[in-house]
Amino acid sequence: MFRAAKIFATVAVAGLAASACGGSASGGSDGGSSSGTMVIGIDLPLQGASKDASESTVNAMKLYLDQVGGKAGKYKVKLKVYDDSTAAKGAWDDATCAKNAQDHVANTEEVAVMGTYNSGCAKIEVPVLNQDPKGPMLMVSHANTNPGLTKSWDPGEPEKYFPSGKRNYARVIATDDYQGAAGAQFAAKDLGVKSCYVLNDNQTYGIGVAKAFVDEAKKQGIKVLGNQAWDLKQPNYTALFTNIKATNPDCVYLGGIFDNNGGQLVKDKVKVLGDNSKVKLIAPDGFSGYPDFDKLAQAQGSYLTFAGLTTTSLREQGGVGAKLLDAYKKKYGADPATNYALYAVEALQVIMKAIEGSDGTRASIRDQVFSGSGISIPADVSAVGKKLTISPKTGDVDVLDISVINVKDNEEKFLKPWPVS
Amino acid sequence: MASKSVSVPHRLRWPLGYTAVAVLVFLAYYYVIPNLGPDAQTFFRNWLPLTSVNEALVWVICALGLNIVVGYAGLLDLGFVAFWAIGGYVAGWLMSGKFYDVNFNFLGGASGPGIHISFWLVLIVGGAFCALWGVIIGAPTLRLKSDYLALVTLGFGEIIPQVFLNGDNIGGFNLTNGAQGITPVDPIAIGSTKLGPFDLVWKYLIFVGIAALVVFITLRLREGRLGRAWLAIREDELAASMMGVPLMRTKLAAYAVGAVAGGLGGVAFATHVNGVLPDRFNFSISITLLAMVVLGGMGNVWGVILGALVLAWINSTGLPQFGTSFNDQFGTNVNFPSYNFLLFGGILVLMMLFRREGILPESRTRLILKEPSRTDMESLHADMEEAAPELDEDLEPVIAADGTGEKA
Repeated sequence: MFRAAKIFATVAVAGLAASACGGSASGGSDGGSSSGTMVIGIDLPLQGASKDASESTVNAMKLYLDQVGGKAGKYKVKLKVYDDSTAAKGAWDDATCAKNAQDHVANTEEVAVMGTYNSGCAKIEVPVLNQDPKGPMLMVSHANTNPGLTKSWDPGEPEKYFPSGKRNYARVIATDDYQGAAGAQFAAKDLGVKSCYVLNDNQTYGIGVAKAFVDEAKKQGIKVLGNQAWDLKQPNYTALFTNIKATNPDCVYLGGIFDNNGGQLVKDKVKVLGDNSKVKLIAPDGFSGYPDFDKLAQAQGSYLTFAGLTTTSLREQGGVGAKLLDAYKKKYGADPATNYALYAVEALQVIMKAIEGSDGTRASIRDQVFSGSGISIPADVSAVGKKLTISPKTGDVDVLDISVINVKDNEEKFLKPWPVS
Repeated sequence: MASKSVSVPHRLRWPLGYTAVAVLVFLAYYYVIPNLGPDAQTFFRNWLPLTSVNEALVWVICALGLNIVVGYAGLLDLGFVAFWAIGGYVAGWLMSGKFYDVNFNFLGGASGPGIHISFWLVLIVGGAFCALWGVIIGAPTLRLKSDYLALVTLGFGEIIPQVFLNGDNIGGFNLTNGAQGITPVDPIAIGSTKLGPFDLVWKYLIFVGIAALVVFITLRLREGRLGRAWLAIREDELAASMMGVPLMRTKLAAYAVGAVAGGLGGVAFATHVNGVLPDRFNFSISITLLAMVVLGGMGNVWGVILGALVLAWINSTGLPQFGTSFNDQFGTNVNFPSYNFLLFGGILVLMMLFRREGILPESRTRLILKEPSRTDMESLHADMEEAAPELDEDLEPVIAADGTGEKA
């Protein structure tokens, strides 16, 4: 019997080895990459809570590419979607991000990456793409709002993400520091808040945005009563809010993502501190785009900020974005599940513009963005309806629209734009 | 290596077999695959990328460590992820710019502020630090048996990652950088050469080497006094203690040695991902590791390796890629990866029903599982009892103590 097991093992190992060596027969033709086609990698979490948002983001980009005939200048453009999440985690996964980064570089036809959704994932991928021997390879994100990727934030940032010494990362969205600041300014000026209690979900995004809120709130004369993490595994937060109640705040700021047990948090906030007209509830865009949140009775009357413009206001603005949204609704029967979808299109526009002006190599595409005056998209073609320029020094965007949203009647209603400088 | 007609000394068989397979895979990725046509290259990039192989090797290293605790000593450990995490953070602390106000460089793979120590030293430190934690975690569990023991290890497996997650403000000191984790980690330096992100083949060789080291330690310990004591405890703790096996020392040794492997795996993983992030280290990792050990064949090193390779591959590449191909082929839109746990659960149930001893069982376990229970025997005939196996009867008894012929 043991012998049989041994033979089985040998066969299995040999099989593994054979499968590793085999396949040489199938690789006869040497087509090479057709020089005219440029592949843009799209790196998003396609499983778990971000699934709907990511799918509509991909759909919006595909739709846009169809509208412009799938071409950037003389080059044909194709999209290739990568999943950076695993089913087991139901969220983005570090090892998968590392693997995707390798795949982006290894795929010879691929010239640039649109993504990622999560800043943590970008922090793993950017250094790898940066060291691409044929690059650096350009990455443009539509949703990474962590400041450290482009500007001095934590010690060593952002230089530690660019080991080659050249930048290769750009984004089309304003960073958390602006959003947290806008939230604080709005609270002070429009809501007349005097004291605020800040909670964060203890994740990269949540801590960053909460920190920015606290800093600006102090400047605006709001008394910050505390900045504390909420434990996302707690079954309820009654005790937490009972403690907060003792400090008697005018407002509660939730720096974090709705996925991290935000529903329970909001319910217990109202249960202990009263409704949102009495003690204001302000949250960043980590709470935006979730129908579950919008429909929550306890969420009514809360204010959200969004680091960009919402789908509604983009539609009102008209132009390319509105047209795209109409086409999207016609094809898929609803608006995109996330406000980031149009920003993904904007990121795609930046990449395509870079491809257009380049000689088709990765290094040259990256140079388009990070040399000279950089890339700018004029207002009449821009998906977000405004002229947009990527700073060739940092890769940050100059359009710093922050929207303030009011949750009312189970919907996110655009309240006003909040320009920050 | 099953054939008796080949006159390779027994003690050299596994090192030779292991080296042969490792070298074959190395040559395949170093030489064969890069020279194949674009179609074949795409095939390998999709189905068997080297990143997945490297990741699977980290799983192998950790599963081998768990095998010592669960497979050899019979102590159910549901919190092995803690050691993986500790190993990872040791790498994060000692091989990055995390402690930017310290400026210490010792043969490190990067310069600048922070602590930059050679990967090889960090491996040793990580292993040693984990061994220490293995003893710390093991100590309170010594009075416990079976279920209770499992619960305590489960608790540790939950606590340690939480400590790392919330460790950005321990009395004002930022130890772990909280949820942001520590990125990036220094590249591995060999002499003055630094392994960049695309030197995967060389990283593969290093990981294979670490795995070989763990295999070697495991196999050698198994033959020795300590290994036999573990087996004795696994079979019957009371009897073992009556025969003079020091329970406390032996059990602690199992935790410590297992933890060393977890630490090596953690350090290796940190360089693989190029960072450590706390949200990776959750309960499902412990369970997956346990499934690897159980499916592969508890106690059998080769079974565990096979189980770890297969499950890790299914997890990271196999299932998603199968889903993509299936959907492309049939125009469907089935989300295969979301059936991951259904598949694992199903396989586990089937295995327990039809092949409880695992794919490649340890000969001893198999015999015990096939032996009728005492009451069955007594109700029939007492002499139907097989002669009790004396360790692996298949193994040649004498193995030179010098332990030559180690690994690749």
